[in-house]
Amino acid sequence: MTVTIVMKHKKEKFADPPNFTEKKNYRPSDVKETGLVFVGHEVSEDRTAMNQFLHYDQLYTIRHGWNSKFFIGLLEGKIMGTRCPKCGDSWVPVRTHCWNLNCKLERTEWVEMPLTAKVHTWTVAGWSGRSSLKRLPIILVYAIIGTSKVAMANELHGMNPWDVEFEMPLKIVFKPKDQRVGAVTDFHFEPADFWKPSPMNPEKQRIKDLVTPVYEWVKTLK
Amino acid sequence: MSRKVCIIGGATTPFDYGPTGFESIEGGAAECVKETQQDVPGFSLRDLDLMIYSHFSVHFGHQLAPEWIIHDHLGLVGLPHYRVENGGNTGGSALYAAALAILSGRHDVVGVVGWETMDSVSQSQGSEFIALASDIRYELMVGGIYPIYYAAMANKWMKENHVTEEDVATIAVKNKNNAMDNPKAQWYRNDHKYITVEDVMNSRLISYPIKKLDCSLMSRGVAFLLVCSEEYAKKTNPDQYVTVDGMGLSSCTIRAGDRLNNPGWSERYGPGYPGMTEFAACRYSAEQAYKMAGIRDPLKDIDFGEIHDAFSTSEAQIYKALGLATEDTIVEFIRDERTSMHGDIPMNPGGGLLGYGHPVGATGLMSMIECYYQLAGMIPKKHLSKKTEVPNPECGIVNSHAGTGTSISNFILRRH
Repeated sequence: MTVTIVMKHKKEKFADPPNFTEKKNYRPSDVKETGLVFVGHEVSEDRTAMNQFLHYDQLYTIRHGWNSKFFIGLLEGKIMGTRCPKCGDSWVPVRTHCWNLNCKLERTEWVEMPLTAKVHTWTVAGWSGRSSLKRLPIILVYAIIGTSKVAMANELHGMNPWDVEFEMPLKIVFKPKDQRVGAVTDFHFEPADFWKPSPMNPEKQRIKDLVTPVYEWVKTLK
Repeated sequence: MSRKVCIIGGATTPFDYGPTGFESIEGGAAECVKETQQDVPGFSLRDLDLMIYSHFSVHFGHQLAPEWIIHDHLGLVGLPHYRVENGGNTGGSALYAAALAILSGRHDVVGVVGWETMDSVSQSQGSEFIALASDIRYELMVGGIYPIYYAAMANKWMKENHVTEEDVATIAVKNKNNAMDNPKAQWYRNDHKYITVEDVMNSRLISYPIKKLDCSLMSRGVAFLLVCSEEYAKKTNPDQYVTVDGMGLSSCTIRAGDRLNNPGWSERYGPGYPGMTEFAACRYSAEQAYKMAGIRDPLKDIDFGEIHDAFSTSEAQIYKALGLATEDTIVEFIRDERTSMHGDIPMNPGGGLLGYGHPVGATGLMSMIECYYQLAGMIPKKHLSKKTEVPNPECGIVNSHAGTGTSISNFILRRH
């Protein structure tokens, strides 16, 4: 007897798989995926305590999914934001669905933002995570880009740290195209061309005094 | 509410960075339970009917589900257990979970164990691990670690509220010097010195306006808290139990920059609040806790607190979010030393995160335990002197705080 199975419903895919045609590999030669490796240990003189040194190096894939246009925009030297077609709110960093509960998670649309911003608040860092120590001191600002309803964090370059001000106008400057990686580090803020720092004052002097040793300390880092 | 949530005991290991003597997490947990058993002889591990584990980052221990190691080690096989993780508010959230378990009527005796082992990596690597709780796509790679985010928020808050670097430095001085009376505090155990405002002002820049001595301490530490029904409390520790009369848990955006015009907050508090300066989740969770506990005027009704001073600046911001001061009174509130041991509402007599330490998963429990010791009259036994004992306290507040104010809980504890 022959049995014929008839597929009544073709299994539908959630989405067509993306075809990744543009691929770049800029892994430094000293980055190795070793997985888990014990690289040493130490035992106390009285042999009651032991420390073991474990190295772990792992490649992660950050799949940007529906946020991808923002990061692809960075590769192209653009700041892409999103906008809710219902209430009109717009954002960088982006939201793929509206934050206003009345809009019932409306899908947002992509909008290209201007390459200008304004400082909302700021700080001057003299210490940071391991990956950022050599760039210290860092002026970190939260700035509002274009019509965005939110402020975005990034570094402010091209000026003395003690001259940063609230509300100061900024321009967005991208790295040269061949150095971009599609991350927020592809751009930074700089003062708008027409902006001039205000004269020295006690707070600026205080910040200058605080950052002076930081410059010296960074020179000692290997 | 028919059932009451009670705390009848708890203990921490000494908090430290590097060797402490309790260097395995399960060993530390066992020692905390043993200290609690000495304080509460009627308590047996057999009485527990639920264990909740409070741990933030598995990165530090390189061990997924490390609570399974502790639970097994304590001999508690068969008992239900799960872990709570909610950033810096992990401890507060674990207590919230324990309280819900009691309130539901399903459980009567809940043990909460919290820990973090932040000395397994360098300080700068540790900062980066913690910063993985910020939005890594937008913030981590632009030099972002939590002291920097907090500094950007505090800088604007201090300008708007006319609070100076010296003002917040007094908070760092208060908490670190309080810790000098607490033998388990990391500041007592390591740095071991009384400091002045000048010391804070002269310490190295972390991120303006925050200097090194304005910052809490990266730590290794374990804590155990015993939460139960009133029936069990009356039976087991009738003279030294406290009730959790109010609790609130609230949330805010992961990125601090997303708070300028957020409709969720605009609906509650009007446009423009909280901006990047106020801790809305602290205000909202405090309002819930106050309402539940019948607190009308927190400044009058609350005697002291153990609050989340990850930075001296954030303790100042929390004063305002808890309703202890307003934009008009905050400077005076700080300069009048209202929160020092001789003030009318001492904050962080145990040393806080600035002095006791901040092993994230254990931190909120440490705050809870210090608050419990004060209300149960146990400070002379647990601290080195009576200098850090709040006189005849009836009511304390505990505050636990995560992210850039992304999750915050508040609890009102009362003596019985």
